[in-house]
Amino acid sequence: MPKHRVTRRRLLAAAAPVVAATPFAKLALAAGDHAEHAGMSMTAMDHAAMGHAAMIGSDALAPGGPHERDALLYPPAALGHRPGRVREYAVAAVDRQIEVAKGVFFSAWTYNGTVPGPVIRATEGDLLRVRFTNGGSHPHTIHLHGIHPADMDGVFEIVEPGASFTYEFPARPHGMHLYHCHSTPLKKHIAKGLYGAFIIDPPEPRPEAQELVMVLTGFDTDGDGENNFYGVNGPAFYYAKYPIRVRRSQTVRIYLANLTEFDLINSFHLHGDFFRYYPTGSTDHYEYTDTVMLCQGQRGIIEIDFAHTGRFMFHAHQSEFTELGWMGFFEVVD
Amino acid sequence: MEAGSAAGWNRGPLRAWRLWALMPILLLVGTVAVFVSTGSSLLDLVGRAPPPRDEFDIRRVEFKPGEIRIRVTNPQREELAIGTVTVDDAIVPFRLDGPSSLGRLRSSTIVVPYHWVEDDPYTVGVTSSSGIETSFAVPAAVESRGASPRGFLGYALIGLLVGIVPVALGLAWLPSLRRADARWLASFMALTAGLLTFLAFDALGEALQLQAALPSGFQGTGLILLGVAASYLGLTFVAQRASATARQERSAPLEGAALAGLIAAGIGLHNLGEGLAIGTSIALGELALGTFFIVGFMVHNITEGLGIATPIASGGRVGLPRLGALALIAGAPAIVGAWIGGFITSDLLGVLFFALAVGAALQVVVEIGRYVARKAPGGLSSGHVVGGYLAGIVVMYATGLLVG
Repeated sequence: MPKHRVTRRRLLAAAAPVVAATPFAKLALAAGDHAEHAGMSMTAMDHAAMGHAAMIGSDALAPGGPHERDALLYPPAALGHRPGRVREYAVAAVDRQIEVAKGVFFSAWTYNGTVPGPVIRATEGDLLRVRFTNGGSHPHTIHLHGIHPADMDGVFEIVEPGASFTYEFPARPHGMHLYHCHSTPLKKHIAKGLYGAFIIDPPEPRPEAQELVMVLTGFDTDGDGENNFYGVNGPAFYYAKYPIRVRRSQTVRIYLANLTEFDLINSFHLHGDFFRYYPTGSTDHYEYTDTVMLCQGQRGIIEIDFAHTGRFMFHAHQSEFTELGWMGFFEVVD
Repeated sequence: MEAGSAAGWNRGPLRAWRLWALMPILLLVGTVAVFVSTGSSLLDLVGRAPPPRDEFDIRRVEFKPGEIRIRVTNPQREELAIGTVTVDDAIVPFRLDGPSSLGRLRSSTIVVPYHWVEDDPYTVGVTSSSGIETSFAVPAAVESRGASPRGFLGYALIGLLVGIVPVALGLAWLPSLRRADARWLASFMALTAGLLTFLAFDALGEALQLQAALPSGFQGTGLILLGVAASYLGLTFVAQRASATARQERSAPLEGAALAGLIAAGIGLHNLGEGLAIGTSIALGELALGTFFIVGFMVHNITEGLGIATPIASGGRVGLPRLGALALIAGAPAIVGAWIGGFITSDLLGVLFFALAVGAALQVVVEIGRYVARKAPGGLSSGHVVGGYLAGIVVMYATGLLVG
């Protein structure tokens, strides 16, 4: 396992050129010649910069490059129903500095180096085998939601640093689930980033769709028990910087889970359209809406049939979370 | 040739001695170099340093049409980089006047385009690259005016009203003072000493309060000591020179117009700090700038004019230009202070100015004491002097109530 031991200081040094080149080169450019000093007159660009609607593309204050997080956004393909097939995943806990907002770094505990961790996917009846190695500096576990024996629950089998444990059980029931570390202090282990999405496909395959995974994340970078930044699948404003391209002709299916710590609830709101929301996704029951509310651990499946092409915003319908990073766009094309 | 070589021979040992004097410094440099190259392993023996606090020092938040300007300083030894900026818990785009990664005690201004609402409270937050957020609450957003001819004139008028005018009015007590008998004159001198003592304490309090808010790297208390010592000793030097030229006698106490000049200088330094405090408060929108405030300062400061007039009363005639000059020395620094405070806002300068005022006021108190001890009937312990001194403090306290 790659074991990154990046000290805070070294990271700062590495980040310095990037930070220096930021934070608003683009805005400064657009504001033009008179931007440098006081007494500047208001230009159209300055006006635009005051609303989040304008924070799209390169104007969005998000870290990272394009496609960097595709492995978290696009789940592995669903496989057909074949009871007893073995689905293996290797997951390692790794301590790592990650950039959670433009120019801001967080000492995270991660599964496989990212927050959230990798998407684990199986079909109902598959024998799921998750080999877990603790490459971090604290005892960790993986607690997967779903139906499984007590000794596979990731609560009592604490995995010490350097040790390993294999979770093995038949995957069921189908639906959108999640996994997270269950070591104590629980709040700390989740807030540090040890969680991810766990999809179990039904025996009867779901209709073809453009599938996406969205794990709602929050980061408390100064340790005061309140999140400083929010996002989808990690960094603040990432999908505002890189809108998600989808086709209007095909259903968009989002596997949604809320794993933000500290805040009682989080939510998902889509602009300009409605969607079917299947709570937990284990039954056919759905709600037709444009806003859903989730407490920590709550999750479900969203299916959108876009009526129009264009740019549609999606965000938490808690304005505070929206303005602290939990906001993105769909680019709907024909 | 002979002389040259003799001089060279003489200079030889001298040079050697000088080199010898450099030895401790060279050894120190060597030791430091060895420690720096191996020091971290040495420190590991006794523990581990905690990570830096990574908090910014936010000195000033200004509201301009369509933008908010946040002045941040790095108060710590380690480099500190600006990551994100929030206004009322919302991440906002910004640009920088200055570097984004700040060395020790370096500053930058964060400019946030923003439609702020007049009189609303705002909380701005600056998050370091290490994720630590420093926030600064503004109780009510008020537009801060930049340097403009209007502002320049405005601060000058305020300085004029709280500085020069009351001092000049106080000087008008001169004819009445001239008719007072020696005991009462001594009493007024003591009153002057009392009010100057009050000003010294007042300035010391301001300086201590201001320095507490400074990043520790600026060593505010040391700065205060420096300011007090510099102004006290500086004025002592000036007083000695003045008395030596006037009476060919080094240790004689100053009197008459010369003593009045010294008092005016001391009061002037105090008014410099006072002007700075007023200017800063206005610029930051912290001051309920009312007529009552200005009137209060005028009543408070008229006593300063009395203090300058008293020593003149016992001396020879002094012309109107000379009196005008004294009023300017004592009062004009209030204008300069208001300009500096209004347009620059530096707590560091504030600390220094107030410290200078402390030293100056104390030196003048000592000078007056020497004068009274020698010239006044009954010396320092007469009832007129003791009563006058206490009255000076009471007068300042009572008129100060108008300002506070």
